Amino acid sequence: MSAADPLQVIASAGKGESTRSVLRVIILALIAGAAVSSRLFSVIRFESIIHEFDPWFNFRATKYLVANGFYNFWDWFDDRTWHPLGRVTGGTLYPGLMVTSGVIYHALRALTIPVDIRNICVLLAPGFSGLTAIAAYLLTNEMTPSPSAGLLAALFMGIAPGYISRSVAGSYDNEAIAIFLLVFTFYLWIKALKQGSMLWGALCALFYGYMVASWGGYAFITCLLPLHSFVLICMGRYSTRLYVAYTTWYALGTLASMQIPFVGFLPVKTSEHMPALGIFGFLQLLAFLDYVRSAIPSRQFQTFLWLFAGTAFGVGLLGLVIATSMGFIAPWSGRFYSLWDTGYAKIHIPIIASVSEHQPTAWPAFFFDLQMLIWLFPVGVYLLFQELADEHVFIVVYALFGSYFAGVMVRLMLTLTPVVCVAAAIAMSNLLDTYLTTKSPAAPDALSDKDADGKKAGKAGLKSTSKPVVGIYASWAKSVIVSSFAVYLLLFVLHCTWVTSNAYSSPSVVLASRLPDGSQHIIDDYREAYQWLRQNTREDAKIMSWWDYGYQIGGMADRPTLVDNNTWNNTHIATVGKAMASSEEASYPIMRQHEVDYVLVVFGGLLGYSGDDINKFLWMVRIAEGIWPDEVKERAFFTPRGEYRVDGEATETMKNSLMYKMSYYNYQNLFPPGQAVDRMRGVRLPEVGPQLSHLEEAFTSENWIIRIYKVKDLDNLGRDHASAVAFDRGIKKKKPVKKKGPRVLRVE
Amino acid sequence: MRLSLSFIAALFTAAVSAVSTTGNRLLVVLEEDADKQIYSKFLGDLKSRGFDLSFESPKSESLSLFHLGERSYDHIIFFPTKMKGLGPNLTPNILVDFLNAKGNILVTLHSNVAAPTSLVSLLAELDIQLPADRTGLVVDHFNYAADNSSAKAHDVLLLPPPRPARSDVKDFFSTGAGEDDVLAFPRGVGATLGASALLNPVVRAPETAYSYNPKDQVGALTADDLFAAGTQLSLVSAFQARNSARLTLVGAAEMLQDTWFDAEVTASAGGKKKTINREFAKRLSGWTFQELGVLRTNWIEHRLDEPEDPRNNETNPKIYRIKNNVKYTISLSEYSWDSWTAFTVPDNDDIQLEFTMLSPYHRVPLSWDTTRSSDSAAAYTAYFRLPDQHGIFNFRLNYKRPFLSNIDEKNTVSVRHIAHNEWPRSFVISGAWPWIAGVAVTVAGWLAFCLVWMYSAPAKKGVKGEKKTQ
Repeated sequence: MSAADPLQVIASAGKGESTRSVLRVIILALIAGAAVSSRLFSVIRFESIIHEFDPWFNFRATKYLVANGFYNFWDWFDDRTWHPLGRVTGGTLYPGLMVTSGVIYHALRALTIPVDIRNICVLLAPGFSGLTAIAAYLLTNEMTPSPSAGLLAALFMGIAPGYISRSVAGSYDNEAIAIFLLVFTFYLWIKALKQGSMLWGALCALFYGYMVASWGGYAFITCLLPLHSFVLICMGRYSTRLYVAYTTWYALGTLASMQIPFVGFLPVKTSEHMPALGIFGFLQLLAFLDYVRSAIPSRQFQTFLWLFAGTAFGVGLLGLVIATSMGFIAPWSGRFYSLWDTGYAKIHIPIIASVSEHQPTAWPAFFFDLQMLIWLFPVGVYLLFQELADEHVFIVVYALFGSYFAGVMVRLMLTLTPVVCVAAAIAMSNLLDTYLTTKSPAAPDALSDKDADGKKAGKAGLKSTSKPVVGIYASWAKSVIVSSFAVYLLLFVLHCTWVTSNAYSSPSVVLASRLPDGSQHIIDDYREAYQWLRQNTREDAKIMSWWDYGYQIGGMADRPTLVDNNTWNNTHIATVGKAMASSEEASYPIMRQHEVDYVLVVFGGLLGYSGDDINKFLWMVRIAEGIWPDEVKERAFFTPRGEYRVDGEATETMKNSLMYKMSYYNYQNLFPPGQAVDRMRGVRLPEVGPQLSHLEEAFTSENWIIRIYKVKDLDNLGRDHASAVAFDRGIKKKKPVKKKGPRVLRVE
Repeated sequence: MRLSLSFIAALFTAAVSAVSTTGNRLLVVLEEDADKQIYSKFLGDLKSRGFDLSFESPKSESLSLFHLGERSYDHIIFFPTKMKGLGPNLTPNILVDFLNAKGNILVTLHSNVAAPTSLVSLLAELDIQLPADRTGLVVDHFNYAADNSSAKAHDVLLLPPPRPARSDVKDFFSTGAGEDDVLAFPRGVGATLGASALLNPVVRAPETAYSYNPKDQVGALTADDLFAAGTQLSLVSAFQARNSARLTLVGAAEMLQDTWFDAEVTASAGGKKKTINREFAKRLSGWTFQELGVLRTNWIEHRLDEPEDPRNNETNPKIYRIKNNVKYTISLSEYSWDSWTAFTVPDNDDIQLEFTMLSPYHRVPLSWDTTRSSDSAAAYTAYFRLPDQHGIFNFRLNYKRPFLSNIDEKNTVSVRHIAHNEWPRSFVISGAWPWIAGVAVTVAGWLAFCLVWMYSAPAKKGVKGEKKTQ
């Protein structure tokens, strides 16, 4: 093409292969940019702040890593959490996230760009979401020859709320990088499988190792890849490509995963990892038999061999069961059982059930998080099912399991989102490829195309597709379909933006509300209280609170806590639950023993804030009851009619519990006598509020959301606290009237 | 460390001139100035020991125990007053605050004078019960002063010197007293003590003594009406709060009067005896006003006891590793009248160190460390091995004994797990050798296989060629 005719150049732009690649790169870059920028709502609305609960721990750990170096991080014994047990933090976390931020931090410093570590942590998730979009593009391109499918998948992945929910700026959690690694590992797996390449298999293992280092959800890959292989084998699609890809991935990936201290020997010891090992062994058998079969061509021998393979598989499975029952292999963990039986956790492991994101998903959540993708998803799966190459089987298997898990647990919506995006993009691109073309093929051409399609699809094709359809190539039909889908796409973008800005961008550390005039009002009680703790308490003052706030207290107030969101010690959590659920007299020795200086409770009664401790109280009671069924009884917190009440009708146990007392202490003084109202539960409280003797109020935040109490020292004069408080109030001890019964004698 | 030592030395020089460890401002609560004469020897003794006495009547409006939140006095003596209460400046709550602010109180009672309600409430808070107003008089028909005006009433008790009830308690109140000496306890009130661990009787009534109301219990006394009898009656009682503030209750104010100081009395059993009231009053007030039995922690040091470890020289490290050997040393002094001396643990008693997390993992006795002790300070040391459990532990020394001020020292340290590079390497462990050998054999086998594979193919041609040439 000559440069003399620029018009020609412009007109032909987009036709050449290289210009298309350039365009594709530009579009991908724009999609990545859109993915990043749509996650910045939280920074613009609020500020550059770490969100929620777990991110605060990750942030704290990252700061430790940056300050002390990698080896100290590895051997980190954290004496400011789980007081007084401490936590071997370096060996009980997934270090991928912190190491990633640490590497970025040091790389930027090496480039003489000093960036605050907090900003790196805040912006890590949006940054990786851009990469996830690209990974989704690559994965989709492996599925279909259509070039537009990949771009659509990247777009969907970039802005789907199901993924944004865990990756807005400030949501510095493991999922922030894990979803990218998940999608990219799948891409490398497909690549390795398609090419039977050891190199791609090794790359897949490498990223699998990174994934293991980053998120406990790596077990999803560990189970999905063997499952895919198993399905392929069952379909009679065993091939050397599969053998090479799988064995490379398994051998290297397992070795890589065992390098993470937290994982250690789990890949060879726990049931969750056994499918991968089993398929590895099974593949060796198959490869051997395959070799034998090629060496000795005999039909009978072949069937015998397949039988042999079956028995070997059965024996292996039996051995696994025996090893499990003998205790060589740890049985399935409770968290795993709760994936199959949604009621399991509530009965056996209340601590898991008490987390809202472990609840089964409500169906509107699917529409909320995926909008139109949720109905495009089955179409895409169906289209892939029609072709059903090896890689399509993967998407089908993934879709099945992903949907199931997403239905069981809210948080697993996250693992479903990538496959939904891929499948929906394939469906969408198929539609657009068909309709979004100005050229109408000549009738016979169309017919032959249809025939070819029909043959390919085999019996699965509908009858009507084999007949020529009048009007499908008519421009009005095209324009209706295309414009309606354009509207759908636009609505999708609108929905995603709306959901992101309204539902997923709140840091939950700072609460936003609207004043009557429509302006935004920030409720900043959490930070107010944590700041108070930071400035007014000793540096080693131990704070007791329910575990939800452990990470925040550690991160924001920098004070040791008894329990936190890393719920590794159920007994310790139950101890705190018992202290909260018992009377002052019973919980005081517990608090003394644990050297508690302050107790922090969250109270939403004044503001109508639903996430407060009284609402979580039953979980504390249940968890404590699990350990001390004789001392804490859930039944005692319900009225005889089975109601959970906090007003005058509340049970005595409820009224005497430390949590109740701390929540409502002095609350009635805010109101005219007899008018005290709990706005959260919408009940009127008794006129006389609870009295505290073993604790004293230390701090109450502006909107009473956080209340902090100081645990009194033992009475200096050896009295019990109740009588000491009575004395301070001016009630003198009465002279003991004539004692009945024998005298109590003092013995030296 | 050196700095803090010199600071302590500076404190030492300051302490020598002071009389009591907590200050010398002594408030004497008296109703009438004439009473000063009755107690002149006792008060003179106090003055000569360096106390700065101020006299106030409870009626005085200017009397205030606190000024701007700080104690105005360090110690108080209450002599019997005729007042029913003690006025708004000496309410029980103020007195409790005074104790909480480490002030010391000496309370004296008299059987003819009603105890002020304020003091009765205060004592009730401490679990000390008194008989109702003017109804308690302690008498003993076997041990009384016979030559007295009240020889008939048997209300002047003659008691042996008050020795400690248990062998492991230091004797503070009767050292130096001869066996024949007696302590006169005239017209006093006995109290009963509750089970509080902070209370200790200093002088207990003889087994033959009892308390009765001379007005309406003259004829007969039923068991139900009896307030208390025998050793359950505490004539002089000591209370030491958790912050080591002290309160002493003397049942008979008269025993501090001049008349009973170094007096000659005729015992009911016969023979003239000398009273040790003066010496006892000195010791009792000395104990109450923190001149006796005051313990002080000079310093605490804990360190690794592992010569090979590079961190062995670090004093008071914040973090240890499990199964480290550690050494703990504490330096203790005891104040005796005007100087700090080395504290020696009484015979039959032990000073123990606990290493605790939730509950003690170790409880080890400390032994005298001669190399680090001096005349004024005694060092006690313990060696032990940390438990195989990581966590946040306390070195806890909780030494609370009757009449000695409380020592409750807590030093928090973290005990970490074994770091990744502190384990023995695999080649050191003999049990790992088969596996290491297995790895080596596999590597060697693989290399050998590769070599064979690479060099076996051309060999065929060579064989052929050889055959051809042959």
